[in-house]
Amino acid sequence: MQPRPRLRLVTVLLTLVLVVFSVRLFQVQVVDAAAYAAKADLNRYQPVEIAAKRGDITDRFGVPLATSVDADDITADPYLFTPQQAKTDSAPQQAAALLAPIIGGDERTIAQQLSTPKSRYVVLARRQLPQVWNRIKVLKSSLADQAAKHGAPGLLNGVLSEPTSKRVYPNGDLAAGVLGFVNGQQQGAGGLEAGLNGELAGRPGKMTYAQSGSQMIPSAGIQEQSAVPGANVELTIDRDIQWAAQSAISQQVRQSGADRGYVVVQDSRTGQILAMADAPGFDPNDIGRADPAALGNPALQDAYEPGSVSKLMSMSAVLDEGVATPWTHVVVPGTLQRGDRVFHDDVDHGTWDLTLNGVLAKSSNIGTILATGQLGKNQNQANQVLYSYLRKFGIGDPTGLNFPGETPGILAKPQNWSTSQQYTIPFGQGLSVNAVQATSIYSTIANGGVRIQPTLVKGTTGPDGQFTPAPAAKKTRVVGEKTAKTLSEMLESVVGDDQGTGTKAQIDGYRVAGKTGTANRVDPKTGRYHGYTASFMGFAPADAPRVTVSCVIQNPTVGSYFGGQICGPVFKQVMEFALKTLQVPPTGTAGPQIPVDFQSGKQ
Amino acid sequence: MTSSLGGYSIRRFTPERSMVGKLLARDSVVRRMDWILTAAAIALSAVGSLLVWSATRGRTSINHGDPQYFLIRHLMNLAIGIGLAVGTIAVGHRRVRGVIPILYGVSILLLLAVLSPLGSTVNGAHSWIVIGGGFSLQPSEFAKITIVLGMAMILSGRVDAGDQMHPDNRTVLQSLGLAIVPMGVILLMPDLGSTMVIVVTLLGVLLSSGASNRWVFGLLTVGAAGAVAVWQLHLLSKYQIDRFAAFANPALDPSGVGYNTAQARIAIGSGGLLGKGLFHGGQTTGQFVPEQQTDFVFTVAGEELGFVGAGLIIVLVGIILWRACRISRQATDLYGTIITAGIVAWFAFQSFENIGMTLGIMPVAGIPLPFVSYGGSSMFAVWIGVGLLQSVRIQRPVSA
Repeated sequence: MQPRPRLRLVTVLLTLVLVVFSVRLFQVQVVDAAAYAAKADLNRYQPVEIAAKRGDITDRFGVPLATSVDADDITADPYLFTPQQAKTDSAPQQAAALLAPIIGGDERTIAQQLSTPKSRYVVLARRQLPQVWNRIKVLKSSLADQAAKHGAPGLLNGVLSEPTSKRVYPNGDLAAGVLGFVNGQQQGAGGLEAGLNGELAGRPGKMTYAQSGSQMIPSAGIQEQSAVPGANVELTIDRDIQWAAQSAISQQVRQSGADRGYVVVQDSRTGQILAMADAPGFDPNDIGRADPAALGNPALQDAYEPGSVSKLMSMSAVLDEGVATPWTHVVVPGTLQRGDRVFHDDVDHGTWDLTLNGVLAKSSNIGTILATGQLGKNQNQANQVLYSYLRKFGIGDPTGLNFPGETPGILAKPQNWSTSQQYTIPFGQGLSVNAVQATSIYSTIANGGVRIQPTLVKGTTGPDGQFTPAPAAKKTRVVGEKTAKTLSEMLESVVGDDQGTGTKAQIDGYRVAGKTGTANRVDPKTGRYHGYTASFMGFAPADAPRVTVSCVIQNPTVGSYFGGQICGPVFKQVMEFALKTLQVPPTGTAGPQIPVDFQSGKQ
Repeated sequence: MTSSLGGYSIRRFTPERSMVGKLLARDSVVRRMDWILTAAAIALSAVGSLLVWSATRGRTSINHGDPQYFLIRHLMNLAIGIGLAVGTIAVGHRRVRGVIPILYGVSILLLLAVLSPLGSTVNGAHSWIVIGGGFSLQPSEFAKITIVLGMAMILSGRVDAGDQMHPDNRTVLQSLGLAIVPMGVILLMPDLGSTMVIVVTLLGVLLSSGASNRWVFGLLTVGAAGAVAVWQLHLLSKYQIDRFAAFANPALDPSGVGYNTAQARIAIGSGGLLGKGLFHGGQTTGQFVPEQQTDFVFTVAGEELGFVGAGLIIVLVGIILWRACRISRQATDLYGTIITAGIVAWFAFQSFENIGMTLGIMPVAGIPLPFVSYGGSSMFAVWIGVGLLQSVRIQRPVSA
């Protein structure tokens, strides 16, 4: 074959290829141009989310308990630390040595991050305060200036920052159980931060800008939909009382070697929670180091058998139904056979001749069983009546605080009460409550028999600055005003009478009403009774109540386990502080003198 | 013969034989050159300069903060390239014939130097010698020329002497032996792109040499078998396999391997009919297309100059190939025919592969677009190629 005809064939082939290329070019650039242009716009226009400022949580006076501040994520581009780019072999190590003291990380970890192969983005430290990035910035530019003299890039050129925000709890562990905490994305993950996340989080905005070489083109137009900041939430908590409650319970939990304990302080006349403290607590600023078991708010999340503090409800029923008065004589035997069980009191005794007042003051289980037995013609009827009072006091219902993880407690219907349950429920075993429910019982009596649903949020201030108060609390009458007054006087005997169990709760100059509780505790691990729940609840001043305080300590193991002995002093300490803080003067009246016992044979 | 040093009086009395007059004489070198080819090559280089400039103005990460950094170097490369072309014409391909063994030897030595510690790796291919001062040499570009020249010398020797009608089998084997050594070194680098170019160039050389059809088909078969072997024996680097995988299915991993081609296509497609205007392409200024001043330079044309500009590049490439084919057909001896046919194959394959990969009809390979892409070695080699084409053209009879 001659070379020339072959070359002609080659020419034809080349022409064909050129035509194919032109057709393909036409297809891409003219036929499909619109689709490619749309894809190019996706590249060119960069959407960026604008974070919304998270609302503050403040106490009742606007003092911030949780707030958000500007912060920076410190990031880096490992590519710029490669030997080719940095013009030095040990750029990651050198840079890490400079950065570690500033961002407070481990030098070797940082060096490792900076030498991540094939990566263009690593986060060196999250949510650093602005001064941290300022220090890096100054260092970065001075290094770059120095290096420029030798025509080299600055050592820290690959270190960058991204603006973000950081949740700060200025008071450390104060009210941590109530406030909760946020997760890595600054979204509520526990406590009110989670429960009120909808209000607090706000709505992020969106900005779309034209970019070129990863840089914003300022003149190319920016579409911005601004972020809506979250609302500020004002709580009913009083920071000072919260502090007093927290330090008192922390100390007692430590001293008594208890699993945990909590204190609730409630305004007796409004139902507002002034303090809700628990121990051991945690610092929401540093969740990573907290004990996971301490992260909750047990005052609302623990369901426990209340024990004798529950007797106030039994007495309410007995008095309000008119089956007895405080002076009614109750002959209390040393033991009492009911069903297949023999019941005892906390202390062994022979036959006591007590008044009904004395039954409460000395916290006799047997006396309480006898008294509540009178509520109906038979035990079934008595059970129905008692149950209706327990329900009216809010037992078995959620508190209305809508707190995440809150327990409503357990109260079985009377037809389902076991034989022993119908005799234990009157003295507070065989049902369970949370501490706020229990506190509410005492506030109801303090408030003249009208139950006010507890509240924790006073109101919210939206981004427009408008304050929206929380909806008014629900009020329901539980017992008559006179009954409430009588019960209050009986509770004074518990504290004031020398034979009462709550003498440790006496406060000089004030009339104090209260009740002790020492309950058998169900061990959450085994589901069997083991150890005790010690508690004390009451209010003051007894004749013009302002403050209700409750103290609950779970499983004390060192020293006394009696509620009056270990919770009485906590009650006293917190109550004294609250009365002073709220500037409540002593009423100056004398306490009632209702006898606790009677001389046998006399009427 | 009169030279410019010849004397004042002579020049005054013989103005028609002055320097300019001599250059413009009917049988002069200048008049015998293929000016359409020259014009197309210069036009393509001019467009290329603009595209390289546009692609690198904003790339602060590589241009040392100087928007003209790459433009200046590109124009310097172009000037040197044109100088080399003029030098090649001045020497002439026939006079080169005597030193081809030396050129071949130097070329092999340079290729081996790349494999020594002197070499450096760019984008997975170990094919550069860094000279210093921001300059580096890619010996495989020059190897393309020495292979063409060497094979042309061997294949044409006895035919041009009148001993044979066509190169016999032994001659063909000798010429292939000459090509295999540099090819092997280049494949070891591994520079798959240059190897592919050389294989196609071999095909052009054999076709034009008049060697038997068996050799042409044989080479095609060996090429195909070689490709299968390379694949089966896992001689390809990971990045090369990824490139083929991405060609087969670009959506496979748009931000990984398929990213280059996807972004290249977006750049070209979004240019539309008339383009967005030089320096105004969002994909180009936004630096979404990697290696845009070198292997993906065609995307700048597609986006900023549109179908009109990108089409112009294809037309200019077509003109250069048309003129080169013409020169090859009209060459007075087999030596010239083979040289020019090899250059046609080389230019054609590089252009088609380069443009084809940006259009998504060829797999990605690191091959520059002749006359357009940034890169000194490629620019020099291509212009030496032009010099050789013109040298062959000048030798043809005036009447042709």
